[in-house]
Amino acid sequence: MSALGRRIGDPAMTPVLPHTETYGRVLEFLHHEAELLDAYRFSEWVELFAPEVEYRMPVRTTQFLTDGEGFHDVDFFVDDHATLVTRVKRLETEFAWAETPPSRTRHYVANLRLQEGDDGELAARVNFMVTRTRQDLDYQLFTGQRLDRLVRADTDAGFLVRRRTILVDQTVITNTNLSVLF
Amino acid sequence: MSTTAHPPSHAILSNGEAIEDLVRAEEGLISRRIYADPEIYQLEQERIFARAWFFLGHESEIPEPGDLVSRTCGTDPVILVRDDEGVVRAFLNSCRHRGMRVCRTDRENVSFLRCPYHGWAYKNDGRLMTAFAEDHYGEGELDKDELGLIPVAQLDSYQGLIFATWDPQAPSLDAYLGNMKYYLDIIVGRTGGIEIVGTPQVWDVETSWKFATDNFTDNFHVFSAHHSLVELGMLPNNPDFAAHGHMIVAEEGHILHLTAGAPTEEYELLGLPPELRAKMREHLSPEQVEMARKCAYSAGTVWPNFHWLQLMSSGTLGQRDVPFLNLRLEVPLSPTRTRMWSWLAVDRDAAPEFRKASYETYVRTFGPAGIYDQDDMENWEDCTRAALGPAARRFPLHHKMGIGRPVDDSWPGPGRAYAGAYGEMTHRSWYAAWRTHMLRDHAVGARTEAAR
Repeated sequence: MSALGRRIGDPAMTPVLPHTETYGRVLEFLHHEAELLDAYRFSEWVELFAPEVEYRMPVRTTQFLTDGEGFHDVDFFVDDHATLVTRVKRLETEFAWAETPPSRTRHYVANLRLQEGDDGELAARVNFMVTRTRQDLDYQLFTGQRLDRLVRADTDAGFLVRRRTILVDQTVITNTNLSVLF
Repeated sequence: MSTTAHPPSHAILSNGEAIEDLVRAEEGLISRRIYADPEIYQLEQERIFARAWFFLGHESEIPEPGDLVSRTCGTDPVILVRDDEGVVRAFLNSCRHRGMRVCRTDRENVSFLRCPYHGWAYKNDGRLMTAFAEDHYGEGELDKDELGLIPVAQLDSYQGLIFATWDPQAPSLDAYLGNMKYYLDIIVGRTGGIEIVGTPQVWDVETSWKFATDNFTDNFHVFSAHHSLVELGMLPNNPDFAAHGHMIVAEEGHILHLTAGAPTEEYELLGLPPELRAKMREHLSPEQVEMARKCAYSAGTVWPNFHWLQLMSSGTLGQRDVPFLNLRLEVPLSPTRTRMWSWLAVDRDAAPEFRKASYETYVRTFGPAGIYDQDDMENWEDCTRAALGPAARRFPLHHKMGIGRPVDDSWPGPGRAYAGAYGEMTHRSWYAAWRTHMLRDHAVGARTEAAR
């Protein structure tokens, strides 16, 4: 229910429309991030997150809509900044077998809806799609919605992610594991 | 080269191979054929998944009358529900009329389950209350008393863990668990009770269920399979770090490890915080406490596919190891595909800070995104793919470690214990139990129906 509320939008925030400079800069930031992930530039990717970041992917169940969207207080990811850095450093070893040899991924972000708060914090909602192939195997597909809280930052990328909630569409992850990042 | 002169027909596969010859457990040789062969898989359905006891869930997952979760008993979908009287029941998730799934969510709270297809409605105790267009049935055409949801043949719980079987002639749960209860008490009964945190993680892996199962009684894969964590300094850079402790073979193919951690107080008594350690001394015998004192890690399997992982780990560089209790189940979907279920359990009396730390450590290290677990699945999938070819199947897999090691007669607990935590005696015992089940000639399905 709370997740449903977040998806509809925060009434305390103001919509940022597509023709604005802010919208364009955020879209460019999101595309930049996707490009870093697909290029295995994980140590640059993790620098896009604020030190206080909360990075979560809640577990979803099939429920009646009257009981909510089915997201739970149990997660597939419940990371802070130090944990994300740990994941990245792990991927940089030669022994992270789930990604060694690496998957080929494509991260797509679309349908950006953007809002801005009085304090300058931005709420970005996107639909995401990640495709993965490994070894000589068939495609795997991860889709869902991502809810980001961004702040403007004096960095090349221009923003930092201070909260990311990844709402997967699947209740059962049918793709072996979640060794890719979102 | 058959080791059996004249095996009975049910013990012979269509190409003439004897099941017995595929699992030479005493020699530590396991044929690749058993992992992903469709004929073996079909036989497993009748001889194992329609017969053994299976974990369905924990009582804390359905605390209130009407609480329901969708689960699997063996490989059949079931509804696990607490009825209005508070009785825990499990039914085949299938209407008696056309067989439609009557529960189509993962969890809900219900008084009645109404089948979407023709509207047959069942009370949460399984009774058929109304069928559709009842006045169009003639005399004797609709016996509602006989058309309740199909219950599992037996359902029982131990320490809140709910198990069920489709075999009315299976031994009771109490007898099935046998001397494994002594060790279940150490893990799930240690502080007077555990509870499940939230809802399970569920994911599918392209593996034979048996490669996953095999991995849950295997300490010596950790150093290589999880070597990324050694590189990062999050596991000791010592190949023998998990080699100390005992491996125990209990009754009915149940197996476990009790493994020592670093030689400090922090890694004693499963690494639990002080207030829970005090509770352990209340709820366990001095002998059990002494076993737990020497134990930081434990993996156990209630035969065939239910496991606990009591571990201490860290998901974050520079943070200390934190204990957590992970309950696991593998449900085969096909010879080469398996649904993984993973629950976090915590002691009912655990303080909020410990719950949080235990929860975060579990999610970060285990489950599909866990920095340990994700590498395991890679191994199981590639082992499965490599077991498919006709040439590979001529060459059995190697399970010989510790085959000559004697039983440790000084072990005070039940079962056969072996000193050390690196060895394949628990693997061999699991496969021997598999062979025993697969050599039974049971038409369980027919008997179950006749017994109704």
